[in-house]
Amino acid sequence: MIAALPARHQDGLREGRLWQGLLLLVVLVLAGLPTARLLAQALGGSALALLLAPASLEATWHSIESGVLSTVLALLLGAGMALLLGLSDLPRRRAIGILFVLSMLVAPQVTALAFTVMAGPASPLLNAVGLAPAPGTANPLIGRGGVILVLGLHHAPLVTILVLAGLKTIPHELIEAASLGGAGSRAIMRWIVLPLLTPHLAAAALLAFVAAFGNFGIPVLLGMPAGYLTLPTLIYRQLVGSGTGVIDQAATLSMVVAVLALVPTALAALVLAKNATRRSMERPLQPFWRLGGWRWPGSLAAWMLVGIVLVLPLASLLASALAPTYGARLTPASATLSHFVEVLWRQDVTVRAFRNSFLFAGGAALLLALFAVPLAHGLDRAPKRARTLLLPLIELPYALPGIVLAIACILLFVQPLPILGISIYATPWIILFAYAGRFLPIVLKAPLAAMAQMERAQEEAAAVDGAGLVARLWHVVLPSLWPAVAAGGLLAFLLAFNELTVSALLWTAGTETLGVVLFSLEEAGLVSEASAVALSATAVVALLVVVIDRLGDRLPAGTLPWRF
Amino acid sequence: MPVECPRKSEMIRPIMAAALAGALLTSQAFAAEGSLVLYTSQPQTDAQQTIDAFKAEHPDVEISFVRDGTPKIMAKLRAELEAGAPQADLLLIADAVTMEGLKRDGVLMAHEGADVSAYPAGIHDPAKFWFATKLITTGIVYNTGAPFVPASWQDLLKPEAKGLIAMPSPLSSGAALIHTVTLTSNLPDGWGYYEGLAENDALAEGANGGVLKAVAGGEKLFGMIVDFMPIREQAKGAPVAFVFPQEGVSAVTEPVAILKTTQNPEAAKAFVDFLLSTKGQELASAQGYMPADPTVALPAGYPARETIKVLPFDPAAALAAENENRARFEKIFQQ
Repeated sequence: MIAALPARHQDGLREGRLWQGLLLLVVLVLAGLPTARLLAQALGGSALALLLAPASLEATWHSIESGVLSTVLALLLGAGMALLLGLSDLPRRRAIGILFVLSMLVAPQVTALAFTVMAGPASPLLNAVGLAPAPGTANPLIGRGGVILVLGLHHAPLVTILVLAGLKTIPHELIEAASLGGAGSRAIMRWIVLPLLTPHLAAAALLAFVAAFGNFGIPVLLGMPAGYLTLPTLIYRQLVGSGTGVIDQAATLSMVVAVLALVPTALAALVLAKNATRRSMERPLQPFWRLGGWRWPGSLAAWMLVGIVLVLPLASLLASALAPTYGARLTPASATLSHFVEVLWRQDVTVRAFRNSFLFAGGAALLLALFAVPLAHGLDRAPKRARTLLLPLIELPYALPGIVLAIACILLFVQPLPILGISIYATPWIILFAYAGRFLPIVLKAPLAAMAQMERAQEEAAAVDGAGLVARLWHVVLPSLWPAVAAGGLLAFLLAFNELTVSALLWTAGTETLGVVLFSLEEAGLVSEASAVALSATAVVALLVVVIDRLGDRLPAGTLPWRF
Repeated sequence: MPVECPRKSEMIRPIMAAALAGALLTSQAFAAEGSLVLYTSQPQTDAQQTIDAFKAEHPDVEISFVRDGTPKIMAKLRAELEAGAPQADLLLIADAVTMEGLKRDGVLMAHEGADVSAYPAGIHDPAKFWFATKLITTGIVYNTGAPFVPASWQDLLKPEAKGLIAMPSPLSSGAALIHTVTLTSNLPDGWGYYEGLAENDALAEGANGGVLKAVAGGEKLFGMIVDFMPIREQAKGAPVAFVFPQEGVSAVTEPVAILKTTQNPEAAKAFVDFLLSTKGQELASAQGYMPADPTVALPAGYPARETIKVLPFDPAAALAAENENRARFEKIFQQ
């Protein structure tokens, strides 16, 4: 048996190579292909003239400006929340944290719609309490200020998650030592916590900037009506206004978006990697900050923030969906469910959009979940050099703003596929492909983490007993990996279900998604119907969160953003 | 309705298991025989009602629609035509000028057998490539909280209206392009009137739906808009009212046409016939539109047909100068 071992080992290696080749192919097709196609397109043509056109420069400036200013807001709110949740003895910390983070899972276009109906003179909520501005007052959230504010509020939970993860890397021993030495909470915060947290704050800021920079749902609903265009909305408007004839221009502009988004992403990864050297630690940071007299003001501030990012927007949507029409007064007598009936039963397009979003999100999630086990296994076993190459490539379509991926997919598929001669442009498959590429890293994250924790002994024992790769994956790896795969798939479903940016450019007759119909209803002035779609879609998300949360105890730590 | 049950159960069937199989099925269903796709600029609820009424007459025809502003839906169609795979069988869009352009490019199919005896001469294409279905005028909407009730186009230049005006952009709305051409060729100031609007800080973004939202929501107090939107919303309780300005209004006819690439010409012709029939015209009236057939009564909220003064308009000149007019508008409002 001992003599047989090396031979089997070699067997495993050869099988491994084939496997790695296959993996590389999948990753290249889903992630590398769109990027390469985009590069080829953008580098041709009179790129410079377009980039220096006043409209492009203005949109670039708006993107950077709204990105930076909203990041400042997100950082202040998100980091403040993280410190309260992670370090203080604030009552009901867990509930506050969950609700706050859940607000991030509400789709950006839903949040944006909610804020527009909340703030203007027609606001059903403000009117109910007599606080609505007089008719003739501009909606304060339409335009530059609104885009920045809502982007900041929407991405604050992202900062909170990253900072909370950072807090966990600080050893509690440091705090104990300092307080034994007589340091108060404030001194510990100033001289221990904040310095150790700096890289995490920097990474959180960079990632919040990227998220805001590539966002589409918020600037399209809040910025475009006032002529405040960012790069993604400028590209979108050019393409829907003039058709694929301007695809070259769109490709060039989207390269700018890609570069401006990838540089901060890479920087953030670098900062976090540099800081990843493990500190020796007996136990992670425990809450040490006694709020004392600040307990109630702190609670009030935290709950108010939850109210602003989650409760008020959803309540406004509900009020707007129940009102007889936009602008009409909502009273118990005038309230009607007719808009829900209209969008959930009567209108073919919205019913079809619900079905399409289920199919596209479900199809992509299922496909990725099927790949996730062999992919996670292969990546875990791959040589380090291959991994450092493959992992960023997998991240690419998710790190790239959605509009960039959408344009890459149009370029890839607008001509019929070579050899096969069939075209998937203007079919459901193009959206499915784009979703599969975009959400691959979401599905892979949990299985990769679970794989890293798995003991290899069992699998090696099975190999010694002659079990082939497929048998090992099925009998050994899958049983311990499936909760992670299921959670990854469901998370991807949840994000894809409410997706707007990619499908806004890829939809065609019959393949409308929920995001697309919401936007289209809002554009047609059917605000109440749009609110009903938004609320129904959010209800599906809420339901899914409950389902995924049930898997929570069997998952590696950090898989579910709302568990910390 | 009995049709509702299968749809509802489709939505709640086990999602993950059905997802891939379902995606396969759907892609085939798009190309199925006997089905029609309508590209329209009608608001979604109206488009659905029109289709439902047609289906009641022709239960064997499957028909679905895609809705967007006329310029956007045209961009979509043109892109599909270039790719050699137009998805639409039927067009029901804002204006006849766009239809004339498509006819010139040889994209449309004539419907020789259409019965147009009820209609006045000149309202449809004499060669029967497109047919007027409604009369949609563009006038002024105001919020009932506004400081004054506008009566003339010139009222939008008043200082009290400064910064409080919303108007559709010809880049997003077909009716808005016709409206711009009509006003600039009829008002004494010509394009100077639009320059005055720009100086009065009028906001020209998006289509009529956006104008309705802004004025009904009280964010703007005045707007240029198609008649049926505010007249209908006022009846539902929105704080808006519509004015036919004294100089006159512009008008489009929301024409319907068949694409010559349709796989299902008989069903497409049936749809056109339905829109032109008394029943189809009565439906338009019930939806709050002025029907194109002069013998069908106007809906509530409109003045008598003969009192509405429609300004003259030269379609041939408009078609020839389409891009120029758009560019000029863009320049004035700096879009």
